[in-house]
Amino acid sequence: MRKKQCVAMLLAGGQGSRLGILTKNVAKPAVPYGGKYRIIDFPLSNCTNSGIDVVGVLTQYRPLELNAYIGSGSPWDLDLTNGGVYVLPPYQTGTTGEWYKGTANAIYQNIPFIAQWDPEYVLILSGDHIYKMDYNAMLRSHIEKGADLTIAVREVPWEEAPRFGILNTDENNKITEFEEKPKNPKSNKASMGVYIFSWSKLKKYLELDEADEKSSNDFGKNVIPAMLGDAQNLYTYTFDGYWKDVGTIESLWEANMDLLEMPMPIDLYDKRWRIYARNPGMPPHCVAEGAKVVDSLITEGCEVKGVVKHSVLFAGVTVGEGAEITDAVIMPGAVIERGAVVRRAIVAENAHICAGAVVGEETGLIAVVGPKAVIASGESVAAGVQVDADAQ
Amino acid sequence: MKDVMGLIYTGENDIHLGELTSQRAVAALPIAGRYRIVDFQLSSMVHTGIKNVGVITQKNYSSLMDHIGSGREWDLHGKKGLNILPPFLTRENMGIYTGLLDALKSNSNFLRMSPQEYIVLTNSHTVYNMDYSDAIRAHVESGADLTIVYSRCQRGEGDNISYLKLDENGKVTSMQIGPSAPTSDCTSLKVYVTKRELLRQLIEQGAANGLHFFERDILQRNINNGSLNVHGYEHKGLAFHIDSIQGYFNFNMDLLKPEVRAELFPKDRPVYTKVRDDLPARYMGDAQCTGSLIANGCKIEGTVINSVLFRGVKVAKGAVVKNSIVMQDAQIQEGAEIDHCILDKQSVIRRNGRLIAPAAYPIVIAKNVVI
Repeated sequence: MRKKQCVAMLLAGGQGSRLGILTKNVAKPAVPYGGKYRIIDFPLSNCTNSGIDVVGVLTQYRPLELNAYIGSGSPWDLDLTNGGVYVLPPYQTGTTGEWYKGTANAIYQNIPFIAQWDPEYVLILSGDHIYKMDYNAMLRSHIEKGADLTIAVREVPWEEAPRFGILNTDENNKITEFEEKPKNPKSNKASMGVYIFSWSKLKKYLELDEADEKSSNDFGKNVIPAMLGDAQNLYTYTFDGYWKDVGTIESLWEANMDLLEMPMPIDLYDKRWRIYARNPGMPPHCVAEGAKVVDSLITEGCEVKGVVKHSVLFAGVTVGEGAEITDAVIMPGAVIERGAVVRRAIVAENAHICAGAVVGEETGLIAVVGPKAVIASGESVAAGVQVDADAQ
Repeated sequence: MKDVMGLIYTGENDIHLGELTSQRAVAALPIAGRYRIVDFQLSSMVHTGIKNVGVITQKNYSSLMDHIGSGREWDLHGKKGLNILPPFLTRENMGIYTGLLDALKSNSNFLRMSPQEYIVLTNSHTVYNMDYSDAIRAHVESGADLTIVYSRCQRGEGDNISYLKLDENGKVTSMQIGPSAPTSDCTSLKVYVTKRELLRQLIEQGAANGLHFFERDILQRNINNGSLNVHGYEHKGLAFHIDSIQGYFNFNMDLLKPEVRAELFPKDRPVYTKVRDDLPARYMGDAQCTGSLIANGCKIEGTVINSVLFRGVKVAKGAVVKNSIVMQDAQIQEGAEIDHCILDKQSVIRRNGRLIAPAAYPIVIAKNVVI
């Protein structure tokens, strides 16, 4: 293995239970987004665009679809002779072996993987966010400051600060205090869950954390406070681009709707910072005579005969005559039959909305039709309801 | 189909395609909103299970090389995958092929080194989506020396369409190339199945006799004088012969029919092509679109009727695109209007420009031209 300056570790093992039916059978990073992407396309593309070409993806929960999606890593140019993307599930060692107990423990269990590359720095990422970020700029800041740990932050509106992990810093952005969801925040710098560690320090503190039986083996709860307690050099790096957590049904829906804004708040047309994805290989979409498409994103393979307003359609979606789709996210392969109405809803992969059925309401919470679920003719799905194919 | 290799010839005469092929090989001609013609031959080979594929290039092949690359999109990037075979100079070879026979002679080393028993040889201006397996099986069962895949419903016109007459056993009894009055409804798709060794012998003999054209000098001659046992295999699906601007235009327009798309793009045999990583097409403001095929990366604010838009096309506010084929990254600016036009890549119709062509004679705007 050739030495690498920086190795990325992507934490992709969480269930993402707040996404409900959408993550019942797939890990959160594999959830579709934006018509042709999956959430993991963003951190993977950011890595390849930042010149970081060793990415370990730590999987644990329902990894099959995610593993198949990552494959050899070729869509992100991460199928390399020296480096590339590696899927890292927990494994047995000698007579023991255990599941990843927490974020820090997941990295701890993969110390041998990181050590193979003899890196100076380790970038820790999560697969929960939609953003375009140059990790290399953050790495430069880490090196310039002589930091042991740099935490990416964004400045959130003060009234929202109590919802985040907040970092208090001095005038040089050196972290003085970390507060998880403070009632009276002293700063509005919220952690993005993106860390760059100097490898020697990371290794040392992961080993200390593992030795501490009381620890819950979490970066935010244990490792970062321990490093602060030891007066290590911790700095923030401020990111001011588009950043969206897509950990809940509502936020996932909102993040899709953001792409319909003018101008688009995250520039996905940028040729210098492409977001790559695995391609389904379908012909261009067809808008039939009599169909109407307004303020929407439509992906290849779709057949639109009805009316689509302010919605995002993924690859291979069929919309029958007279069907009306408004403010909705329709995931790959879903079928919306004649005369069906879909409003403020997420219709998951290969779901089937039969003729005349109604999904969602004009106001209120987002309705969700789960993967492969069928909504029969005449049925309706109220706002905020999730339909599970297995319960049908 | 482990014991079959594929070979695609891309050096065909393209005079009737005019401006469309002045900068590229026919094989690299953009069609159907996001593909090149060669995608269909390559994908058909891959779906047949053929792993060893040669692509013989002749003129203007840089866009073709750029498109095919390592063959990854077709899963042909393995150790024995894709072989791009450009022309080269030797003492007896000028590097310029007069016909397919010259090209085959030039690449006889590739044929010799390939271990497969059978070969599927195709051209690159016929569009179809076919699993060649049935044709190969029919070829083996019939005991023929060579099998020509033909169609009774091939669309498109041109002066080099070949007609076959077959007897009741499927044996080809005569072949006419570009006849003024064809006496058969069976047209060759210029897909040939034969044994690799036999093909090599035919090439050596033909070249020794100073011949250049495979179809005319080898096939037609040997069929008509009965010295080669040639059979036909009927491809029942659609096929399009793209050999003229009108034929190119009509083919793309035919794709607006769902039944044509269903045949060329069946779910179990996707057509692979180079990926561009565009985001989905975006409809904004007063966009109106009907009866059209739209690829990813398009931005539509104007009106699009009965047209095919390739990846990354921009139709600005108030612009109207009717009955047209617009290739990738072309722009139709505010208030401009086009009807029955073929816009090549990156061409631009400036603000309030109008280009209205008659249905029988579509206007071609060349690559990078600004009007």
